[in-house]
Amino acid sequence: MRAQRHELHLLTGSYALDALPDDERADFEKHLARCPACAEEVRGLRETAARLARATAVAPPPGMRARVLAAAPRTRQLPPMSRNQLARAGRRTGLRRISPSRAGLTAGVLALAAAVAFLLVTQLSTNSRLQQAQAANHQIAAVLGAPDARIESVPVTTGGTVTAVTSLRQEEAVVTTADLPSLSGARVYQLWVMTSSGAARSAGLLTITGGGSTTPVLADGVQPGDQLGITVEPAGGTAQPTTTPVVTVPVTA
Amino acid sequence: MEGGGQDPAELLTLVARGDHAAFEVVYDQFAGPVYGLVRKVLRDPAQSEEVAQEVLLEVWRTASRFDHARGSAAAWVLTIAHRRAVDRVRAESASVAREQRLTPGPVTGDDVAELVETKLDRQRVRRCLGVLTELQAESVKLAYYGGYTYPQVAKLMGVPLGTIKTRIRDGLIRLRDCLEVTS
Repeated sequence: MRAQRHELHLLTGSYALDALPDDERADFEKHLARCPACAEEVRGLRETAARLARATAVAPPPGMRARVLAAAPRTRQLPPMSRNQLARAGRRTGLRRISPSRAGLTAGVLALAAAVAFLLVTQLSTNSRLQQAQAANHQIAAVLGAPDARIESVPVTTGGTVTAVTSLRQEEAVVTTADLPSLSGARVYQLWVMTSSGAARSAGLLTITGGGSTTPVLADGVQPGDQLGITVEPAGGTAQPTTTPVVTVPVTA
Repeated sequence: MEGGGQDPAELLTLVARGDHAAFEVVYDQFAGPVYGLVRKVLRDPAQSEEVAQEVLLEVWRTASRFDHARGSAAAWVLTIAHRRAVDRVRAESASVAREQRLTPGPVTGDDVAELVETKLDRQRVRRCLGVLTELQAESVKLAYYGGYTYPQVAKLMGVPLGTIKTRIRDGLIRLRDCLEVTS
């Protein structure tokens, strides 16, 4: 059901009305970053949607005003975005995707945390590795426990899935995979933080363990609009990706 | 703080700095449309109230992310509201409550008190929806007020997917042009 590129422009209307299924929405947002005409059209159609919204206005229930106004001072506000973040955000016209059910999110994070703990424990042999792993574990736990942590699982084109837990507040993501096809000796999976401008920064190699998963890798400096990508590279990894990613996970605000 | 006639974009800038008085004005400007829209999509009054409250607090929390260069304050607030309502609908899409909501109601005529100041908005929107073809108007209403995805709209209307994509976009563009002329 995925749209061809020339058909993507037709989706401006559905996008402005929040009528795209999640997978198509992610595709369309990637397209928007590269299509100023689409972004401009979406901007205008969102204003039209707002007119449809205004026409539904009714008096809110009594008591709601007092509750909201009382809750505001107890609610911490988001800091302004850095200039860099604003520049990225300017290329996106979508608004922040609200995480689905908090319960589902928590369950996912807990499952991943259990997987992380298991992986770390099974890999340890020496004390120094234990200390390294504990430091890494601490950072990973901080991401998994972040109040804004979001989990996303995406199928890999060559088989298996990748799971990323992202905390935009900490600008970090923890990436693990399951059931990636094993590679011949001279090749490895490498994780990248790829910006919308096309720059890529290595976040490390993904080591496949006996259980078919990969060691969790922490990617830092993650911003909305970035993508986490995995490529197949020569052993030891490379400074820049040399192959097309087998999977990308968009980082959305 | 001045009265309710203040520019909502400027107000949001003040809200981003933690200005409670500005937030009160923003609340008064948007609580009606936010609650109305959420209720239009969700139907259930108790759930609508809960989601509307979340939306308005979200406005407080994320005001620093509002960027006037990317659209009006109203579009920003009401996009958050619609998104939240739709997220709620899709999270419970398998439930019975969803089945009972299959037919979206008319733009007006709810059992709740309509706001006098939005009467003009309603009239314009109704008139401009009348300019659309029936298929366009129905698709736009099902998608926006019904909270359906375009494949769901296609199924409900028994029309191919490609047709619905086009009808929604054409309808919305025609609506935009009509509203620009009449406002």
